[in-house]
Amino acid sequence: MDLEKLTIQEANKGLREKKFSAQELTSLFLSQIDDKDKGLGAYLEVAREEALVQAARVDALIAEGKPIHYLTGVPLAIKDNILIRSRQATAGSKILENYTAAYDATVIKNLKKEEAIFLGKTNLDEFAMGSSTENSAYQVTKNPHDKERVPGGSSGGSAVAVAANMALGALGSDTGGSIRQPAAFCGVVGLKPTYGAVSRYGLIALASSLDQIGTLTKTVGDAVILFRGITGYDELDSTSVPNLNYDELLVFDEERIKNLTIGIPKEYFVEGLSGEVARGVEEAIETLKKAGFKFKEISLPHTKYALSVYYIIMPAEASSNLSRYDGIRYGTRSEIQNLLELYLKDRAQGFGPETKRRIILGTFVLSAGYYDAYYIKAQKVRALVKQDFERAFEEIDVILAPVTPTLPFKMGEKTEDPLEMYLSDIFTIPVNLAGLPALSLPVKGRGDELPIGFQLIGKPFREADILGVGQIYESS
Amino acid sequence: MPNKEFDIKYFSGLARIDLTPEEEERFTKDLNEVLDHFKELEAVDTNEVSPMAGGTGLVNISSEDEIGLKVGVEPLREQFPDEKDGLLRVPKVFD
Repeated sequence: MDLEKLTIQEANKGLREKKFSAQELTSLFLSQIDDKDKGLGAYLEVAREEALVQAARVDALIAEGKPIHYLTGVPLAIKDNILIRSRQATAGSKILENYTAAYDATVIKNLKKEEAIFLGKTNLDEFAMGSSTENSAYQVTKNPHDKERVPGGSSGGSAVAVAANMALGALGSDTGGSIRQPAAFCGVVGLKPTYGAVSRYGLIALASSLDQIGTLTKTVGDAVILFRGITGYDELDSTSVPNLNYDELLVFDEERIKNLTIGIPKEYFVEGLSGEVARGVEEAIETLKKAGFKFKEISLPHTKYALSVYYIIMPAEASSNLSRYDGIRYGTRSEIQNLLELYLKDRAQGFGPETKRRIILGTFVLSAGYYDAYYIKAQKVRALVKQDFERAFEEIDVILAPVTPTLPFKMGEKTEDPLEMYLSDIFTIPVNLAGLPALSLPVKGRGDELPIGFQLIGKPFREADILGVGQIYESS
Repeated sequence: MPNKEFDIKYFSGLARIDLTPEEEERFTKDLNEVLDHFKELEAVDTNEVSPMAGGTGLVNISSEDEIGLKVGVEPLREQFPDEKDGLLRVPKVFD
């Protein structure tokens, strides 16, 4: 088995054809984790025994001739803000150190139905707040391409697990770029689905109007399979959309895809975008032009305001969502006199600096006297950001843009300056504000150089378009 | 947008987070910088724009008020930090 080249699709084929067993496959990934993860820090918890028990069950199913799904026996990594029943879910925070999930997230329930295997839970910035995975209360995760550099975040652990062959695929969550940015920094494929396409039930909430669970995989083909495994209506998430039909994803219609027009937003190729990243994205555009795609320059005029809008709305929602961590339901009770003291102490000890900063900022923008000036203003500009996309999509079908303004930065380079860290999300945030699907994929032919990512942004629920263009790019 | 120094003591109190003096100093500096950045929004004309509510303009859904708890009580109680004779103990609210 050539691990470098092994994909979900091939692993599934290998299991069907009995070239290897699910236990052999799982053991191979567990030994990869043993060998490499000490130096990379992708996993917070490795569930060795549970994974091998799951694999043994898969082998028994195969031996009995039971139907094999696309994800049966596929070893996956799960971001530690997604609940798996009876397992830890720290969200990278001290405040959830001793928490054990009481139920499965809907995405996990769906993957269990397909008999996928969960190798473990991966590291993240605390409550998914961050762009480097340096904000975890437990450990930092390193970029496998250069261990001095960050893997991106907040789904850094999941991206590294896939990039370093310590999982065949992974789940992450994307609130402002938390799947796409680490995918770009680690050289893997990251899909942020349309808001409402994947149930958020069992995802530890950061900002509920922006959060979406998505996938990290080695190839676009694998993203199709994993996305299909987790999408679907869920009555337990009131923002989940009924009657979605993604059957189209299984029938790759190359002719239809090649007739799509791709828009290039001029506001994404501005000062602040590094020359090397710009050249990488240009190369991707050239490749797609050669493949026959038509391109058109477009304008998304409110792009430059998206960062401010995001850093008002996201902390506002986070301050509300994180108010549940009050020391009452879980955690430890230190010697305290009254309820207020419990709140103040438990939250002071349990949250890290970035989480505190954002909760306080969110409390501020929602407070009487500031609400209209900040929160309502931001929701209005958000509507304009969304309108920009709607207008653009009248002329074109897919938008192509850079994912990050720079190459992966050095560890510690931005930890002292929050605003500088926030700026690393400028190209990913608008998609979340507008609820659109976007696919981050690595520019080809980088060899040993640091990876560069570009993203394809689609119309709502048109994952088939961006995944289709992505598949053509990969095979060009 | 208001042009005042960020009142860290007041807002950390509202957020129910005790801060150390060092944290107060650091966050005041950080948040002042961030609020300064937000001033760019003043340039956007939003007089004719309705604010968005929620993610994507999805319509509200409602459901019958029925008990649908699918998680047993036991796993939730196990998490609870203070329990006596099957009852959950919380700190007193009033002195």
